[in-house]
Amino acid sequence: MKKGCLIWLVVVIAIVVALGFAPGGEPQEFHVASEFELEPIVQLPSIGPVDLSINKAVIYLWISVGVIAIGSLILNRSLKNPTGRLFGAFAGLYDLARLGIVNSVMRKGQDTWFPYIASVFFFILVCNFVGLVPLPFGHHHQLAFYSATANLFVTLSLASCTFVLTHYAGIRAKGVGGYVKGWIVPAAPPVLKQMLFFLEILSEIFRLISLAVRLFANMLAGHVFFAVFFTLAVLFQSYLLASVLQGASVIMYLFEVFVAFIQAFIFAILSAIYIGGAMQESH
Amino acid sequence: MDAEAAKLLGAGLAAGLGVIGPGAGMGILIGSTIQSTARQPEMAGELRTTMFIGIGLIEALALYALIIALILLFVI
Repeated sequence: MKKGCLIWLVVVIAIVVALGFAPGGEPQEFHVASEFELEPIVQLPSIGPVDLSINKAVIYLWISVGVIAIGSLILNRSLKNPTGRLFGAFAGLYDLARLGIVNSVMRKGQDTWFPYIASVFFFILVCNFVGLVPLPFGHHHQLAFYSATANLFVTLSLASCTFVLTHYAGIRAKGVGGYVKGWIVPAAPPVLKQMLFFLEILSEIFRLISLAVRLFANMLAGHVFFAVFFTLAVLFQSYLLASVLQGASVIMYLFEVFVAFIQAFIFAILSAIYIGGAMQESH
Repeated sequence: MDAEAAKLLGAGLAAGLGVIGPGAGMGILIGSTIQSTARQPEMAGELRTTMFIGIGLIEALALYALIIALILLFVI
């Protein structure tokens, strides 16, 4: 090892050890769950049971839409230079959506359904990544982490889109009678046929719920991990533990970036599997 | 045992016992992916993609348990 490297290592270890003897800070209050309560920022009238007032979640959705719109305009301009880095990054994501998700899973309706799958993929990706940037929407306008997909209603809306389009694709490809007949397993005794038909319907409903809850729970758990780790760093009132836990928080943040990308990918590929499965001949 | 203590106990048990199954399942999945990649290294990309789909599906089950624990703590 070089001598400069060794001197740096000794200095860092000495600082970390010296921090163990420094007096701690003051105790402060922090509630983990308060980050996820939504209070209306601009109170608008409600139409029936639908409350139209502007929330933190609504503003985060608008921010995602704005990022996608401005990003699309910038990428449009980069199309004139097909060898640049920005174009390369976007081409990588486009190839992932086209080849990795749609072409590798769906057999028949690839060109028809690619716009929907790619839109869902990019929208959830941008929503998840915007949720990793601290924005001043916390209490008293402090910087706080929150993401639009950490809200069950947003993910339920996205999963409902996939649900409706799955059945629409199936009915368009096979007709209503043919699609429902695809749920009946032909090689089974009659009593078992009815039970399997009922189980197929139940599994369709469970797919909707599981798509929504998977994305919601991953994003919620990620933000709760952040809150807990950052709180742990200040809870013990010791600078030594704070410095160690700060490093652990950074590692958790990198893991959350990975999880954000994976969850967008999984939502898109499961949508593609469901839509492709509804269109093809089964059993 | 009063309701508060029962809630806390239930939340702890839900979050703790609920990740045993998914943890074992993920270990089996990733282990078999590593074995298959060692057998046929040219299929590593496809196998890795399928592995990530499997991880997403299994992790959802562990997070259902966490959601139940959070509902017990903060909603009920």
